[in-house]
Formats: sequence, C-alpha cells, structure tokens
Amino acid sequence: MRRRLRRIGALVRLSLLELWRRNDLFALLVLALALLVPLSLARPFGTAGATRFYDDAALLLVWGYSIFVSLGVGARLFPGEFASRSIYPLLAKPVSRGELLAGKYVGGVVAAWSALAFFYALWAVSSALRGGDGLSLCLLQAFALHAVFSALVVAAAVAGSFLLTPSANATLLAILFPAMLFFGRRLPEFAEGARGPVRLLARAAYWIAPHAEFFDMRQRLVHGWGGVDPAVFLAAAGYGIAYALLLLLLARFLFERKSL
Amino acid sequence: MNENVFELSGVCRSFGALKAVDDLTLSLARGEVTGFLGTNGAGKTTTIKMLIGLLRPTSGTVRLFGGDPADAATRARIGYMPETAYYYPYLNVRELLAFYGGVCGMDRRTVRSRTEELLEEVELADAARRPLRTYSKGMLQRAGIAQALLHDPDLLVLDEPFTGLDPLARIHFRNLLRRLRDRGKSIFFSSHELGETELLCDHVAIMKRGRCIYHGPVDRLAGDGRGNLERLFLDVLEKGVVA
Repeated sequence: MRRRLRRIGALVRLSLLELWRRNDLFALLVLALALLVPLSLARPFGTAGATRFYDDAALLLVWGYSIFVSLGVGARLFPGEFASRSIYPLLAKPVSRGELLAGKYVGGVVAAWSALAFFYALWAVSSALRGGDGLSLCLLQAFALHAVFSALVVAAAVAGSFLLTPSANATLLAILFPAMLFFGRRLPEFAEGARGPVRLLARAAYWIAPHAEFFDMRQRLVHGWGGVDPAVFLAAAGYGIAYALLLLLLARFLFERKSL
Repeated sequence: MNENVFELSGVCRSFGALKAVDDLTLSLARGEVTGFLGTNGAGKTTTIKMLIGLLRPTSGTVRLFGGDPADAATRARIGYMPETAYYYPYLNVRELLAFYGGVCGMDRRTVRSRTEELLEEVELADAARRPLRTYSKGMLQRAGIAQALLHDPDLLVLDEPFTGLDPLARIHFRNLLRRLRDRGKSIFFSSHELGETELLCDHVAIMKRGRCIYHGPVDRLAGDGRGNLERLFLDVLEKGVVA
C-alpha cells in the first residue's frame, strides 16, 4: 500500500510540476488577474447593482479560466506521454495502468484546484475589502462545488483523450461544458417546444450530458443569497463525483485495451 | 546459473494483416548479454515491447522471471531504455530520477543515494541542474540508462542504445555496459551497430521479417569460419544461411 501511494504521489508531483512550469498558463494567469482584480475592486458610482454586475463578470472569468485550466490539464495528461514516448519507460516500471491513470488524474485535479483556490481566495479578499462577507459558508460551498466540477472536467478530458485526437477532444469539451453551464437548465423547455428527433436529442442531452449548472453558485455569491441547503449541496457534489468516477472507469477500460 | 531471465515460446504478434513477429522462440540466461539484430521492421521493437509488457502477444507465451510481464510486480526486476529518449523536458535529471524512483515505489533516501551514484556513473553530475531540454542526444541516452538502472534491476532491456552517440560517448556507454555485465546483470539490447554488438555480447539473435533466423554465441563466429559478426549477419540475411 505504501509503495502504491508513493507511485501515485510521484505521478501527482509530476503533473503539478508540468502545470506550473508551462509558460502559457502563466501568461493566461497574468491576463486573468489583470482583468479580475480591477473588476472585483471597482465601485462604479457607488451603485450596488453595478457593483454586483462587476462581481458577476469577475466570477464568470474565474469559471472560464477554470474550464480552460481543467481542460488543458486533463486533455494533455496522456496524449503528451504518447507523443513524447515517455509512456514507454514509465509503463516498463512496476506501475499498473490503473495506478498510472489514478496518479495522473489526481495530479491533474490538484493542479486545477490549486489555480481555482488562488482565484477564490483573491475574490474572497476583494469581497472582504469592499465590506462583503469575505469567507462565508456560501463561498466555501461555491468553491467546493466548483472544485467538484473541475474534477469532472478533468475526468471528461482524460476519458476523451483515449477516444479523440487532443484538439478534437479539447474543442468538443470546450463547447459542451460552457453550453451546459449556460443552457443546460433550459433543455427541458427547449425539448417541450421541439418536435421529432430534435426533441429526442434535447431530452437525451439533458439526461446524459454533465450538468455544469448544478455546480454554479455565482448568483448566490453575487446577490448575497447565502448557501444552499446541505442536502442539495451533497446531492450536487455526489452527482459530480459519481459522474467523474464513471468517466474514469471508461478511461481505464480504454487505456487497458490500448496498444502501445 | 542456467536459470532463464526471460523465455518467449512460439510468440506471434500481428497488427491487422501485418505479422510483425512470427513464431518467435527466444530466451536469455542469467548474466548473459545478447544483441538483438535485424533490419528495420524485422520485429525487434515489437518483441521488446512484448517482453516488457507494453504489448500482448497475439499467440504464444512470454515469461519474465517466470512471471507475466503484464504484471507490474514482475516488471520491478527490469530496467528499460527506449530507442528515442524523450523524457520530460521541463525536469532536470535529478527530478527525473526522483520521479521514476517514486514510480518504482522507492523511498526518498534510497532514491537520493542511488541518484548520486548513478549521476557519477553516467557522468551527468555536472549537468544535474540543467533541464533535460538542454541535453544533447548522448546526454539524454545517459539519463535514459540512469533511469533504467535506478531500481537496480536484474535485467536491462535496451532498444537501440548506441543510436546517435558520438564515438567517445559510445566507448563510455560500452564500458558502462561491461561494468554492468561484470556485476552479473543480464542485458538484452537491439542494435544496428554490429561492431559494438560483437564487442559486448555473449550471444546474438538475428531477426528477419518477424522470425528469429539465428540465435547463437558470438565467440563461435571465428571458429565457424564466418570471421566476424558482419559476415554472419550478411550471410544470414542475404543468403539465408542459418547456423
């Protein structure tokens, strides 16, 4: 067990090193910060409504950045190893494909979470400076659900990387997750108004596609509505974890059968 | 000393209609150094991939230390260096070895001490802080052999280890492999370098179109009147003369 943990720990560290030594992520981080900080600190004309609008925009940026980071990390975990052939000496070591998948996945998730935690901490500080709640139950719930969502995105990107080319995988998921975030809750309405195969497709999408909107607490944070009921919070988190596990099982099935 | 470190029996591997390895039977005795020769596309790399558990044979059996190479625990006794040594360009060689040590389940103290020994052995101690992306081909090969030796394996499997090395690096590498042989390590390597193979090996196996058409000791070559390995290689491949 100790050896297994060491193996997984080594893979986690590698994923973190890879993320933090990539210059393109730093460039994006700086860009996001440059946009996020002024938006969060701004008090246009002292109007509460306008301040909330800026808060909403700042949190939207956090969501956009987290999807980018999670997809970027998840979609590169395995294709990079295959392209550079570093997968060969790695799998020649006493590590199973399941352990490799688990270690790289956990590493990818921790990397995505570290970026997410940084942004939420920044938002909490700016909120406190403006006389807001700062560190509140609502913020903790929002962060936790967002973290589950990130883990789900990484799992989807990992599973997709065994089925599609890296660019096709990243493009498809970059459309799917934002589409579900903004339009997922409206799919039943859309299905009601549609006919024939479109109706069927909309209903299928509602039941099959991952519901990103379940993890989105931006409106509660912005308008100060407080946290959600613990049962609702646990149900949403459980849904995300179960969905991520299903995707990881699919990824493992595909990886075990992949010829190298 | 007759215990075999690996045994391949009637192994076949197909990729669609292409039969990359066809009815291959081959073994390596403990402490033996065998060169695995053949033209491009002869099935050497496919055989090596089956040997280290990366590929499953279509038929036949592969036994490594009496076990299945697909089993992670069995692979703890082998060290593998791939033909093209592309590792993680953003790591330095110490970080690379720390990573592979962790993957092997080694504790940090052991990894640290082995790293220092190996960096001296492969002469990379002075370049240990440089990222791998700044390494030359020869330095990457040495980093590759260091990662293969890190967990002190009983069998070394090397895919084209001399490719791209300059003459000095070849001599260093050859001497390193000799030291490992003298320590009782079994070594199996594929190569196109007949001279290096003849200097290093006890045995050679020659592949042609997925089949092993010669497997025998190197020191019999002169006695057979074949003169040297190059002559044997050409005889076997071109004239179909099998010893």
